Amino acid sequence: MSRLICPFCGPRELREFEFHKTLPNAGESPFERVYLRVDSLTLSVEHWQHVQGCRAWLQIERNPSTGEVLMTRLARSGEAP
Amino acid sequence: MSARRKGTRLSADTLRFSFDGRTFTAQVGDTAASALLAAGVKAMGRSVKYRRLRGVMTAGPEEPNALLTVGAAPANIPNVPATQLKLSDGMVLQTQNRWPSLRFDLTALLQLGSAYFGAGFYYKTFILPKWRFWEGMIRRLAGLGNAPGRSDLPAPSLEHTHCDVLVAGAGPAGLAAALAAARNGARVVLAEREPAVGGELEFETAKIEGRSAGEWTCAALGELTRLGARVLTDTTLVGGSTGEMVLHTETAGMPGPARLIKIRPTALVIATGAVERMIAFTDNDRPGVYLLGAAERYLARYGVAVGQRLVLFANHDRVYLAAARLAAGGMTIAAILDTRVSGAQSDAARSAAAELTARGTACLAGHAVIAARGRRAVSAAVVAPVADPARMQSLACDAILVSGGWGPVIHAALQEGGTKRFDETLSAFVATDASDWRVTAGSANGAISLAAALKEGVNAGVAAAARAQRRGPMAAVPAASGDPEPHLQAYWRTPSDERAEKTQFVDPQNDVTVADLRSTLAEGFIDIEHVKRYTALGFGTDQAKFGGQLGAAIVAQLRGEPVPAVGTSRLRPPYHPVTLRSLAGHRVGAHLRPARVTPLHDWHLAQGAEMEAMGLWMRPRYYRANGSNATDAGIIEAGRVRTKGGIVDGSTLGKIEVAGPDAAAFLDAMYLSKASTIKVGRSKYMVNLREDGMVLDDGIVLRLSEERFLATVSTGHTDHMVSHFEHYRETEWASARLTLTDVTDAWAVIVVAGPESRAVLASLLGAQWQESLARLRHMDFATGLHDGHDLTVLRASFSGELAFELHCRPLIAKGLWEALVGAGLAPYGLEALDILRLEKGYLVSSELNGQTTPFDLGLDGLVALGNPCVGRDLLDRPAFREPHRPRLVGLRASDGKSRFLGGAQLTEDAVSAVPVGYVTSTAYSPALGEWIGLAFVSRAVPEGATLHVRDPLRGDNTTVKVVSPVHYDPKSDRMKS
Ligand SMILES: [Zn+2]
Repeated sequence: MSRLICPFCGPRELREFEFHKTLPNAGESPFERVYLRVDSLTLSVEHWQHVQGCRAWLQIERNPSTGEVLMTRLARSGEAP
Repeated sequence: MSARRKGTRLSADTLRFSFDGRTFTAQVGDTAASALLAAGVKAMGRSVKYRRLRGVMTAGPEEPNALLTVGAAPANIPNVPATQLKLSDGMVLQTQNRWPSLRFDLTALLQLGSAYFGAGFYYKTFILPKWRFWEGMIRRLAGLGNAPGRSDLPAPSLEHTHCDVLVAGAGPAGLAAALAAARNGARVVLAEREPAVGGELEFETAKIEGRSAGEWTCAALGELTRLGARVLTDTTLVGGSTGEMVLHTETAGMPGPARLIKIRPTALVIATGAVERMIAFTDNDRPGVYLLGAAERYLARYGVAVGQRLVLFANHDRVYLAAARLAAGGMTIAAILDTRVSGAQSDAARSAAAELTARGTACLAGHAVIAARGRRAVSAAVVAPVADPARMQSLACDAILVSGGWGPVIHAALQEGGTKRFDETLSAFVATDASDWRVTAGSANGAISLAAALKEGVNAGVAAAARAQRRGPMAAVPAASGDPEPHLQAYWRTPSDERAEKTQFVDPQNDVTVADLRSTLAEGFIDIEHVKRYTALGFGTDQAKFGGQLGAAIVAQLRGEPVPAVGTSRLRPPYHPVTLRSLAGHRVGAHLRPARVTPLHDWHLAQGAEMEAMGLWMRPRYYRANGSNATDAGIIEAGRVRTKGGIVDGSTLGKIEVAGPDAAAFLDAMYLSKASTIKVGRSKYMVNLREDGMVLDDGIVLRLSEERFLATVSTGHTDHMVSHFEHYRETEWASARLTLTDVTDAWAVIVVAGPESRAVLASLLGAQWQESLARLRHMDFATGLHDGHDLTVLRASFSGELAFELHCRPLIAKGLWEALVGAGLAPYGLEALDILRLEKGYLVSSELNGQTTPFDLGLDGLVALGNPCVGRDLLDRPAFREPHRPRLVGLRASDGKSRFLGGAQLTEDAVSAVPVGYVTSTAYSPALGEWIGLAFVSRAVPEGATLHVRDPLRGDNTTVKVVSPVHYDPKSDRMKS
């Protein structure tokens, strides 16, 4: 994953983006919400921001074993996972 | 020495260079290695550990021994392989790892102790306290070459580019691939490590399409150029990951290249060839032992004979072809040792052997070289039947040429995410291609014969072009004849007793021998990655190219397992050494990152400000007119603010405008106290929490109108705070009617502080501001116009004095500032700002360090308001209330005069090793006339207690008294006046 495809800007270098956090939370208690994530070898749902571009917040799904990006969309357009 | 023959890379012009002080003549096109070999020089260095005399062994970047230093200190360039270094006139070269000279090396006495210097010797011997005794000597001996003090090389450049098909390697497979792709319409970039394309074709005697290999190469290059392909020589694929590969262009083999190219091909063809393997036999590191292919390259490219009477040693058919070519070059082939018994040879090999025998070459099937003889250079080869190693005989020779097969160069494929598999016919690892994005072809894929390499190249080129949507009918494979399959039979080391294994070198650059591998396994380091780290096998400039596969195979043999069960250690980028300078490119010095400057920047510079970087911002630390250093000037500047007044450039303050019907509710969620209760025209000091409850930032929030707020944030936190707000707006607050705008650059800020601030402003701002200035209470603000531009005057203080923040448009900032200076207010810098805030116990990033809760900072009152903001619920964790949690306190030296510094630990007595807190900030307070500080101290320590400042590194050991963090004007009468 040396590039991400920003819905506004198209394929851009990874260095233009900043990672924020992984989703989803393991539960709804404050502790689970902040500290615990559902962990998977093949699927990671993440929030990234295109900080050096349009500043959009993105939700991406990728396979951490291979680095393949499975899906990219705006963070605001979907339900919280 | 015989006369030099013609070489494909040589021109008739000559040049001169010096080598360890002696002057030599070379031909233009020579590498250091070829010129020195032509001049009869065999010794080109000493080994790093045992200081054994070493000569060049290879003709490529895998060279383990002949590493030279180019140029004189301090602009010396160490560790340049002589095999890659293209000479230029006047070049100054020196050998490495010797003292005082290559021939008389005193440190070579280490060889005498080599029995004790096995694997792990350093780990086991030089442990404390002995390390302290040995350290000086080891530091002088250790390492390859000497690091330069500066670089005189021209600045390297960085190029970003794209293409349809990138072909790495321009040997037969790479040329065929590039041609096939280009003929199908693909935009092709062909990168070749060497200064010329062709690879093996440079000395290939087989015919391609009825033409000589050289003619075919020329024709292919011509056609590629006509088709618009970009051919880059001296350019190596050094690394990359899916989608982006990194090419490194060197100027004539010198580090500090012309260019680093980041290229995005749609498809990648890896045709990087294979590196010939050494075979381990006793004293196989002597000058005069070469890889077989290297001898052929020196002859074809540079017209150099590496020896006059040769012994060839191999485990495959191709040695007979090589023998014929070397003989045609005028060298005498004394013997060919073929480890295979004659039954395992091909018919072609047997008939070639018969022909050579008829011309006086001893062709010994089932034989191996047991040892090299000769002290400074090879004088004989001791040979014996593989099945009966005791039946030794000595063959006089001046060079032993070895080929133990080939290791495909699969670095790029593996780094790009590929996996490897073991190819039994070649006894070597090849890459497994998982997709048509990356195709490996030719000897890099184990296709050693010319016909196979060309076929794989064409297929790879067609597949790569197709991936880039360039399809065409042409996929004819050039017919090649006269270059058979090698029929290799794995052979890694000659049998010997364990004593002789001590000089059977596997990785000469790191002096790793078969004996080292054996003892490493015996000590329990079984995994190849452990073997690598314990012995240093595969470290160094050649990065396992020379000895990696051989070492892994011998480990497998010693473990009694097949080679694939051992694998190889991980091949990391870069493929060959790349200087940090070339990775940095133009991003050095002032070009490292952009600088942000305020509208008053030029004024500060003109007035002698000493500037300091805060993140990207440049801010005045102090003005040199007030003192020669920050401490002295800061005391003057801060003192002046308290007695009269001063101005400071606060333009870097982060400013975020939050607007919309939901702005107030949004800010309520973002801050520990409510923004919705702020009245229009008022402001409030507010604190943000991270979602885990730790304090994130603080600042003043102004309510500009019912639906518009201006949130000010710390200079250094601005980018993060904007993202923080944006994240919540884009996720949990996605449906809110709300805009966030970073207006940091839209407003310059001038802080006017001190007892005279109001009077000066009144005299300066004109009639329409008089009423506002008189009316403004602490934390009130007024908006209006000045010189026709927007101006906000906020009465707020970070100094403890009566103070006003002027938020003005950048256009009028300089005029306002100069008027204030004209009215008698002197500017102050960050140092004074820090003194003033510390005297009042105000927080900065030293205290808001991401590890402190609102309770730790004494902000319990804000928590008690019960606003359910981000991070609020995790504040209820019981541990945050425990007595060992830190609490913000003030410190004063017990004697009223000693200095102490931020970062020091605090203990309850002079001997305790358990700190009860640490100092976050200190300053000399001109108002109090002594050193003061802020610290975090365990809640168990009461105010009035005496603590010891423990600062062993800086030597400031003193005692301090715990006091209130507000050192000055605790009731804040001055700022409310
Ligand atoms: Zn974007």
